[in-house]
Amino acid sequence: MLTRTLQLLTLVAISASAAGAQTSDDGLMIAKRTLAAGVVYAHDRWDQYWEGTLKRTNGNIGTLTTQSTTLVAAYGVTERLGLIASLPYVRTHASQGVLHDLNGFQDLNITAKFRLLGTGPTRHGALNAFIAARAAVPVGDYTPDFYPLSIGTAGRRASGHLTLDYQSNSVWFANASAAYMWCSNVRLNRNAYYTNGQLYLTNEVVMPNVLDYTLSAGFNRGNWRVPVTLVQQRTLGGGDIRRQDMPFVSNRMDYVRLGGGVMYGLPKNFAVQLGAAHVLSGRNVGQSTTFTSGLMYALHL
Amino acid sequence: MRRSLLVAVASCAVALVGGCDKSIGPFEVLPALDPSSLDPAAGSWHMILLTGPTQIAVPAPATVTSAAYVAELDAIKTSQANLTADQRKTIAYWSGGGVMRWNQIVRELVARYNLPPAPKDEGGYPVPDAENPFGDPAFPFANPVYAARAYSYVSAAQYDALKSAWYWKFQYNRLSPAKNDNAIIALIPISGLPSYPSEDAVISGVTVEMLKTLFPAAVEEVTLKAAEQRNAALWSGKATASDLAAGLALGKSVAAVFLARAAGDGMRTAGGSAVLWKALADSATARGEIAWVSRDIPARPPMLPLFGQVRAWNMTPADIVAERPPPPPSTGSQLMKDETAEVKRTVEHLTAAQLAIAQKWNDGAGTYSPPGHWNDVALEYVRDAKMSEVRAARVFALLNMAMNDAGVGCWEAKYHYFNPRPSQLDPSIKTEIGIPNFPSYTSGHSTFSAAGAVILSYLFPGGATSFAAMRDEAGISRLYGGIHYRTDIEAGKLHGERIAGYTLSYAQSDGAQ
Repeated sequence: MLTRTLQLLTLVAISASAAGAQTSDDGLMIAKRTLAAGVVYAHDRWDQYWEGTLKRTNGNIGTLTTQSTTLVAAYGVTERLGLIASLPYVRTHASQGVLHDLNGFQDLNITAKFRLLGTGPTRHGALNAFIAARAAVPVGDYTPDFYPLSIGTAGRRASGHLTLDYQSNSVWFANASAAYMWCSNVRLNRNAYYTNGQLYLTNEVVMPNVLDYTLSAGFNRGNWRVPVTLVQQRTLGGGDIRRQDMPFVSNRMDYVRLGGGVMYGLPKNFAVQLGAAHVLSGRNVGQSTTFTSGLMYALHL
Repeated sequence: MRRSLLVAVASCAVALVGGCDKSIGPFEVLPALDPSSLDPAAGSWHMILLTGPTQIAVPAPATVTSAAYVAELDAIKTSQANLTADQRKTIAYWSGGGVMRWNQIVRELVARYNLPPAPKDEGGYPVPDAENPFGDPAFPFANPVYAARAYSYVSAAQYDALKSAWYWKFQYNRLSPAKNDNAIIALIPISGLPSYPSEDAVISGVTVEMLKTLFPAAVEEVTLKAAEQRNAALWSGKATASDLAAGLALGKSVAAVFLARAAGDGMRTAGGSAVLWKALADSATARGEIAWVSRDIPARPPMLPLFGQVRAWNMTPADIVAERPPPPPSTGSQLMKDETAEVKRTVEHLTAAQLAIAQKWNDGAGTYSPPGHWNDVALEYVRDAKMSEVRAARVFALLNMAMNDAGVGCWEAKYHYFNPRPSQLDPSIKTEIGIPNFPSYTSGHSTFSAAGAVILSYLFPGGATSFAAMRDEAGISRLYGGIHYRTDIEAGKLHGERIAGYTLSYAQSDGAQ
């Protein structure tokens, strides 16, 4: 079985690495009156993207690289309730063309996670259900009007998550999760924009809400945890990128991404994680490959 | 306690995104038009292309006591007795004023078609083809100068058509059906303006014919809109079928005059050829200057290099050359180095306020373009002044003729000097907005904006301070964006003001003051 420290550090790591992907769904809880903190670095790059459904390259972008460094902290309020906070610093860069890099603090994420139901240990393993609520607020004064170099949507978001987790009596685990995210409208610095077949004579942009589905499976053994994760994001509205147009903040950004990782618990309450993910299919997003690495520390209060 | 904490977080989260209603709009609302003046003398205002208001003859209408006219009145009553909610919405939409509504529609078309062709897999770029407007690339690429010309043709044609309509209206003096028959309800404000020929039908006819050529792939949509506009006039008690038929015919005939000019104004060949593109570069090199090179990857042919030879509205080709700004600083000069360094310093230390200005006036690919931005600005003044359709058309015609001529003059200068962008002279300069694919000197934004501000300040003196501020902001936005030197902006502003002077002279003696 997974050591307790690694378990909670894993939770934090997953939470942080998903900062850009709006999902934090897994079957772990943080131990009561334990504080964990860490930093996760992610390196994401693509040189092909989907313009609507058309996959293409773009000489004026070349390879788009997004690097993020995320500070993350989690605290176990009770055995059943945990709080997680994360804040990424994001930097984007296009390898070709004249467009300027952007960088800055993105959005502060706060998540409250609650273990709703659990079977406790049984002959066949343990089944638990979790719910979580998450809020994200932009902290930096960054622009959402410079995609694909913008570091975020600059909108406020709130999401509800439901997770079912199964842990076998041996080393295997599997979980499934769904999340619905409400996105606030965002404001641009210009008073007219064209998207989704219409000219809008306002600086306000309606942001479509987002559904995420996550399936994850793997094993826990001793100091090791090795998950494989499949994420599908479905944006509930928004227009496609037009032919040879720049992407726009409210585009319908859909993808299916497969990822895997390794987490390892070090002595003295430290843990490290490495991960990789790749977008298998998408719409109005880059076909990115992401590598993550993280270091966490736990403090039992 | 845990549950309440979770509920608290969840409810904070919902409050955070502002609840569930995210709907926006409507935008640029147009209340039902109730003009402060009928402008009965508009039939004598000076024409732009027509030889006079009677160049297109409109036959005399049937009398109000004729059986044919009475039958038309009865048809309106039948329609009014069976109006659906959708029909009432159509009436409300078009009651805002045909000239302003079509201005909104044309801005939308420009934004839709203002996208450059995507590169071909085998290299190079396809050329938008008017004979295949639905293809990839779509036709047109409504870039800033294409847009300037399109706005000007639509506006100028509407203006001449309405002046002619006004002449015939007051010639025949047949009032609207709601005034002639008490049983017909005026569903919108209906003035004492004679309704034969119908101004709504004139606008619909002239505009659709212009748009069929300028934006051929939008033919279905604009044809439906135009039919709606005429139906709205009928259903609302404003015009009978014969008012509409006469107006439609007049509008189409006036459009034919403008389309004949458009066919031969030089636009068709403004793209030039590979030989010309090389000659332009060679000419700059021969003068000892660094020639402009496209910043697009792969390099894209220069945008409409012969647009500077397209016919202007109020300037002769000799005027265009005579008003050309003096040369920019030599690309090898210390001044040019200093100006390039200023661009770099600006983008590397850009404030949030400066970025906001760069984005506000970006008006780049996929937008209604800088001339569209000034139409956007003008519309609120036109609306608030409660202008008659013909006077509203005058505003947009003067504004857009001046901006078209600014585009012609600016392009003539750009391709005469073929001056490189800051990021060409210093490739370490990265831009905060997309970089336009044409030479740097002078700034198109500055030229368009200066011309627009001159015309609007003449027409709406109360807004002059605001127009000047917008003009300067639009100009400096290009330095903040990292795509123009200060000299481009300053020279463009002076150039745009001189060019607008020609349209201003026309306006000052057009009989409409």
